[in-house]
Amino acid sequence: MNAMRKYISVVDGFNHGLGRIAMYGIFVLMGILLWSSYNKTFASPQLWTLEMAQFVMVGYYILGGPYAMQMGANVRMDLFYAELTPRKKAWTDCITVLFLLIYLFILLWGGIESTMYSFKYGGERSPTAWRPYMWPVKVTMCIGISLMLLQAVSELFKDILFLKSGEDTRNAL
Amino acid sequence: MPYELIAILMFSTMMLMLLTGQRVFGAIGFVAVIAALFLWGDRGGYDIGFSAAIKLMRWYPLLTLPMFIFMGYVLSESKIADDLYKMFHVFMGGVRGGLAIGTIGLMVLISAMNGLSVAGMAIGATIALPELLKRNYDKLMVTGVIQAGSSLGILVPPSVVLVLYAMIARQPVGQLWLAGAIPGLMMATMFIIYIAIRCRINPELGPALPPEERDVGWPEKLRLLRAGLLPVVIFAVMMVPFVNGWTSLVESSAIGAIAAFLAAILKGRMTRQVFETSVRQTLAITCMFMWIILAALAFGAVFDGLGAVKAIENLFTEQWGLNPWVILILMQLSFLIMGTFLDDTAMLVIVAPLYVPLVGALGFDLVWYGVLYTITCQIAYMTPPFGYNLFLMRAMAPPEITITDIYRSIIPFVGVMILALAVVMLFPQIALWLPNYVYGK
Amino acid sequence: QEPIRWRFQTYAGAALGEEVTKPAIDAINAACQGQLEIELFYADQIVPTGELFQALQRGTIDGVHSDDDSMASPTPVRSFGGYFPLATKHALDVPVLFNQYGLADIWREEYAKVGVHWLSAAGQDPCNFNTVNPIRSLSDLDGLKLYTFPTAGRFLSQFGVVPVNIPYEDAEVAVQTGELDGMAWSGITEDYTVGWADVTNYFCTNNISGAWIGSFFVNAEKWAELPDHLKQIVSSAIEASHTYRNQWYWGGEARLRASGEKLELTSVPQDEWKQVEDAAVKFWDEMAEEGETAAKIVQIFRDYNDVTSKAGPPYTFG
Ligand SMILES: NC(=[NH2+])NCCC[C@H](N)C(=O)O
Ligand code: NA
Ligand code: NA
Repeated sequence: MNAMRKYISVVDGFNHGLGRIAMYGIFVLMGILLWSSYNKTFASPQLWTLEMAQFVMVGYYILGGPYAMQMGANVRMDLFYAELTPRKKAWTDCITVLFLLIYLFILLWGGIESTMYSFKYGGERSPTAWRPYMWPVKVTMCIGISLMLLQAVSELFKDILFLKSGEDTRNAL
Repeated sequence: MPYELIAILMFSTMMLMLLTGQRVFGAIGFVAVIAALFLWGDRGGYDIGFSAAIKLMRWYPLLTLPMFIFMGYVLSESKIADDLYKMFHVFMGGVRGGLAIGTIGLMVLISAMNGLSVAGMAIGATIALPELLKRNYDKLMVTGVIQAGSSLGILVPPSVVLVLYAMIARQPVGQLWLAGAIPGLMMATMFIIYIAIRCRINPELGPALPPEERDVGWPEKLRLLRAGLLPVVIFAVMMVPFVNGWTSLVESSAIGAIAAFLAAILKGRMTRQVFETSVRQTLAITCMFMWIILAALAFGAVFDGLGAVKAIENLFTEQWGLNPWVILILMQLSFLIMGTFLDDTAMLVIVAPLYVPLVGALGFDLVWYGVLYTITCQIAYMTPPFGYNLFLMRAMAPPEITITDIYRSIIPFVGVMILALAVVMLFPQIALWLPNYVYGK
Repeated sequence: QEPIRWRFQTYAGAALGEEVTKPAIDAINAACQGQLEIELFYADQIVPTGELFQALQRGTIDGVHSDDDSMASPTPVRSFGGYFPLATKHALDVPVLFNQYGLADIWREEYAKVGVHWLSAAGQDPCNFNTVNPIRSLSDLDGLKLYTFPTAGRFLSQFGVVPVNIPYEDAEVAVQTGELDGMAWSGITEDYTVGWADVTNYFCTNNISGAWIGSFFVNAEKWAELPDHLKQIVSSAIEASHTYRNQWYWGGEARLRASGEKLELTSVPQDEWKQVEDAAVKFWDEMAEEGETAAKIVQIFRDYNDVTSKAGPPYTFG
């Protein structure tokens, strides 16, 4: 039980902090796009802006994902769910979170393979004229997906704690 | 196992999984990756989930998503839409149901500034709703007004849904946006007529404001009228460079977001609190969308791999030998039904690739179909059990509005929307006249 | 007996794939009488182009039709597939280069090293420009955002072109959303076939390469498992499809230039275009430095171009 509490506080704390940083990525994104419009209109269009914006967007939603999960942003279809008592909700979540874990795990599996590939053959480069290496964005994705996995486990632990001792750690943050 | 059977199995499993109330992206993603493993697991197959992430990264129009969301939150949180609302309040308040009618007007203006319905929902629920309730407007009606009105955000240009549709149907975005304009205004008018009639029959629903509340004097009236300039300015800052080809769509959305941000600062409304909420909520909502699309793309790839496209086409045309219009109506019906359960982007990614080529092959205009599709999405946004506007409404509505209220409130408006859908189906010119006129087809 | 099933993804979107890939697949399926069934998927349908090659190595996808450049092949032949600047003049140059000058051996070897069986290459259309605004001189290229191939893009960027790479099927809409000013991707047949002629107005007749070099690939294990008689069918059907494609392009290019109504033809004067040709000579030298294989390939291109320029028209333009 204590291990679970510890886990929750470490994982949630970390993801919270990271998400708080990632959320400012929106301004980075705006900056890049503004810079791109400025150059297009008044100077010469830039090679890298669109692709860089895409990379930032990936960082934004993948690294921000766990924090969004903490905020309860991931919608559910709650036709029946909404009517359940908190305990029943926790029970269902304990089971259904396994599907989420499996999905994230297989997503990560593919991600790791693809990332390993990006280091092979002298380093995979994006098929654009800018030709950035692909590993930084892929590594970022793997990290984000792993953190998402950890966060999902943390959600599971919270439900277990709630069912066992009635303590509600879910809105701790 | 025959592929059709697997496809049906996948779809029904996903629906069942959704009913458990788990996170939508988890349910869709799980079915997708498991199906991929089951089908292709002898070699590879586990990479489909992740390749979807790369696809998603390269799908550049999605960059507009956080921009429009941020813009929506800035507009609503900073309450710069307050004056806009007061404008309608003063000018329309005297009519029975006038405030509700004014709210629709407000929603149209906000729709012209934004490509999603989040902004309209947020503004409607936080600014308009409390006011309307205070004036004794019927809570069922006004809850419906806000949900329906805000959904115009995806039909009145600019529209993110139409951009995504454009990418999948490979139709010109400019024409699609223009095609949405008149149906959008038409639908707004239909809402207004509905409200006016209801309030005429039953004045209780929307009592007229007493004159002393509206009589603010002409200087104030003019000041309020000026508030109407804000959306015009933001719309222009965003659309003029885009239409002239100076900036791309994605860049324009960033400019729009920055414009809204600056407007809030200039008006002295960008407090720490507003800033914090806008930035945080933008992350939350963007993540919600992106993770769903991520999962749906994987699902779509497997679905595609099963040849579901050919199967459906074959079923409709060869096996059932249906007439094109019957097929079209069946498709819209199935979209409507799926829309109650599914996220609209998921619907777009999973089902549109099946339907759109078929619609084209049947000889229908794909720009027009884009408008039909968007209206269906509007309906999907507000029909339970799954709808973004429903969720937002629940999150933001004051406590006296219960879930049942929210569910019941949409019924008449869905009726109006289906009517609008039928009208646009019967008279394609409503959608096509403007783009044909401008692009001179 | 259970049929062998392959998932096959082509570089082309559905409209183009109908002409360039589907005939081969249909022929194979028909001739194999149910022993081998290939399911064809179009651009980015199952996996995005960027992940295509590794998917092929793993076997998530069993076969691929693409050029080496745009599928980001991890081999040293990568930059030479697709449109290597100014390397060829006509589609027939490609099979000659591969079968008489030795490119086929290089390709086969390089792909064998990475677990992929290379089947066959063919030439397709030239790489011209179709754009919203006309290109009449080199200065019109300056600042132009073009959808083009990675290597061609690198080459063109010295003339101010800003190469943009997005998913194939998104290119048409990208012109309308202002992400692109046009394409340097194909000849005119393709512009009309896939709908690009509807969103652009001009076609510049100067090309940066006379024929696209594209290949058919199969996952090596999958190939090894295939009985010999089916191997024969696959190879023959692919060879036969080259012939169909050649006619389709060659006839279409002439007809649409002469009588197509959607794109107005423009040209950069030959003496000005000479700068591009000279730049290509330098570019080749640079590419040859990339390694032994690259040097060998560039030498083959040089040898062949030497021969054709001595031979004169129709091998050269005049
Ligand atoms: N990998 C690609 N997307 N290649 C595109 C090739 C275009 C070329 N014009 C053709 O023959 O079809
Ligand atoms: Na809009
Ligand atoms: Na719905």
